[in-house]
Amino acid sequence: MFRQLLRTANERLRLFLSERGRRARVIRDSLRRQRGRIEPSSRFVSGFRHAYFESEARGLVLLKEWLSPEQFAQYDAKSYFEVTGCYSGKRYRICHGTSMNIYELDGAGRPRVGLCFVPKGYLVSGDVILAQKIALETDERRALTVANRFFSCFDYSSY
Amino acid sequence: MATQIVMDRTGDTRHNFDAKNADALLKAEERFRELTGAGFTAAVRTASGEAVVKRTFDPNAEETLFFPRLVGG
Repeated sequence: MFRQLLRTANERLRLFLSERGRRARVIRDSLRRQRGRIEPSSRFVSGFRHAYFESEARGLVLLKEWLSPEQFAQYDAKSYFEVTGCYSGKRYRICHGTSMNIYELDGAGRPRVGLCFVPKGYLVSGDVILAQKIALETDERRALTVANRFFSCFDYSSY
Repeated sequence: MATQIVMDRTGDTRHNFDAKNADALLKAEERFRELTGAGFTAAVRTASGEAVVKRTFDPNAEETLFFPRLVGG
């Protein structure tokens, strides 16, 4: 008796779910046919990704416009370029990135100490790098005053 | 046509203006003062390609770049 009831309930549940599934497919298909409708799954992620890459690309275009030909060639080949501090004449290596991406170089061109300073607020990497370059080339002392230092233990000579 | 480029989260925002137009020039100078007053640094490029920081508005600058105040990272 109990088994019979269970079997009937199970059958009804299966029919109910099947009917609901069918209705859901009908509604989904009719929505897909609507003109100009944006797929929910791509509405946010795709738009965000597009805007993000567009901003990054714009930042890199601006950076490349402001790099000297030598810096541009170096950055293009190695993802970093070197600048000369306007005050001390020291050489600095600015790597692609948005933080902890500057190294003061020793006489042999090896990273001696890491420097970290960035423009305030969220900026794309190209903008950050360009601001760092201009700061070191035009107002080195001010840049060094705000910079935090970190120990550079990596050998970038073969980078 | 002169341009003021302001770095922001979208990459940059460009304000083009006619440097021969007195009203446009005045507006550009006002923008310069607002941005530098808010802590932005203004830089222009020389003919040789070197960047030079500007503390006052340069009406002859073809392209002026503004980036926010630097902070320790």
